[in-house]
Amino acid sequence: MKVQCELCPKLCLIEPGQSGECRVRINIDGVLRTVVYGYPCSIHIDPIEKKPLFHFLPGSSILSVATVGCNLHCKNCQNWEISQANPEDGNIPAYNCPPERLVTETNKYQCPSIAYTYTDPIVYYEYTYDSAKLAHEAGIRNVLVTAGYINEEPWKKLLQHVDAANIDLKAITEEFYRDVCSATLKPVQNALILAKASEILLEVTNLVIPTLNDEPGQLRELARWIKMNLGADTPLHFSGFYPRYQMRNLPATSLRTLEKARKIAMGEGLNYVYIGNVASKEGQNTYCPGCKGLLIERSGYTILRNRLRFGRCPDCNKEIYGVWR
Amino acid sequence: MTRRKFVRKLIGAGSMIVAGASLFAKKASPRKFVRAIRFKGYPGPVKPMENILKQGKWSG
Repeated sequence: MKVQCELCPKLCLIEPGQSGECRVRINIDGVLRTVVYGYPCSIHIDPIEKKPLFHFLPGSSILSVATVGCNLHCKNCQNWEISQANPEDGNIPAYNCPPERLVTETNKYQCPSIAYTYTDPIVYYEYTYDSAKLAHEAGIRNVLVTAGYINEEPWKKLLQHVDAANIDLKAITEEFYRDVCSATLKPVQNALILAKASEILLEVTNLVIPTLNDEPGQLRELARWIKMNLGADTPLHFSGFYPRYQMRNLPATSLRTLEKARKIAMGEGLNYVYIGNVASKEGQNTYCPGCKGLLIERSGYTILRNRLRFGRCPDCNKEIYGVWR
Repeated sequence: MTRRKFVRKLIGAGSMIVAGASLFAKKASPRKFVRAIRFKGYPGPVKPMENILKQGKWSG
């Protein structure tokens, strides 16, 4: 008997013995099973700035976890070795780390939060959900790093146990999502709006790919959409592309392009616009939208200086969007 | 049965089918999301825990 997975907008109708597009949700004897529950392929302690999250517990360490699999198939994926892997192939070994152990490890290393990241926590939904719930009970906060390609009902349920998220808005056109990611834009926009409405700390990442989504008009439209639907205080990270996976024919994004994107987005009224994956002095720092003073100075993933006082600018006392402690 | 009666009966029966179908359509709620069930074990190789203090090589 076929089963339908209703987790993401792909709504895969799965034949017995087969998996959905994500490769990790399988029809076994007419029952939908997740084969990666409790079996992450990657666990590391990262600086939270690497997610990237710049407005959530800056300078803290975050236990970061991922299983194999992804419901998108972006041609430019930087983590394709794990995101596009099939657990049955045997190329990517996993740890036996059920939610209880994940929480124990997080406490052991005194991390204040867990990031469900690297691939996409949507496809290991049940593991993410149960771990996040358990983590909350233990006083640990939860962060999602995701493409946000999920249906409304499971998304709302998961958001109840989430404190912060960085969600990709890969482009502002359906064509890009269809041609590059084998997905669609609308559900991502819906997930972003729902995340904002749930009052979690939300940051957005846009990977700027030369010739595909770096046209000034598109970048302007993307910034306008964020401002109108998520608010001017939503941090936006313009991230540099590197030729990877099935997109090795394009050059890496130049710093100049990223700076131009940042200027456009700030010109549209976004208060916090950052540059990532490429060294940039100004593009890594947080400035006060009120008095324009420097608030947080960064170099790579390191905080050089944090001038915030109880979440406010020390010069003009403006409240700065974020979770600071 | 006259032709008129037959046509009336036919229209009546058709109306009942349409009314029933629309009632059913109203009552049908969107399917609820159902969690996938945990698979026992892992289909690939399992490795012992390593040093997790090392920063991840993956993006994100």
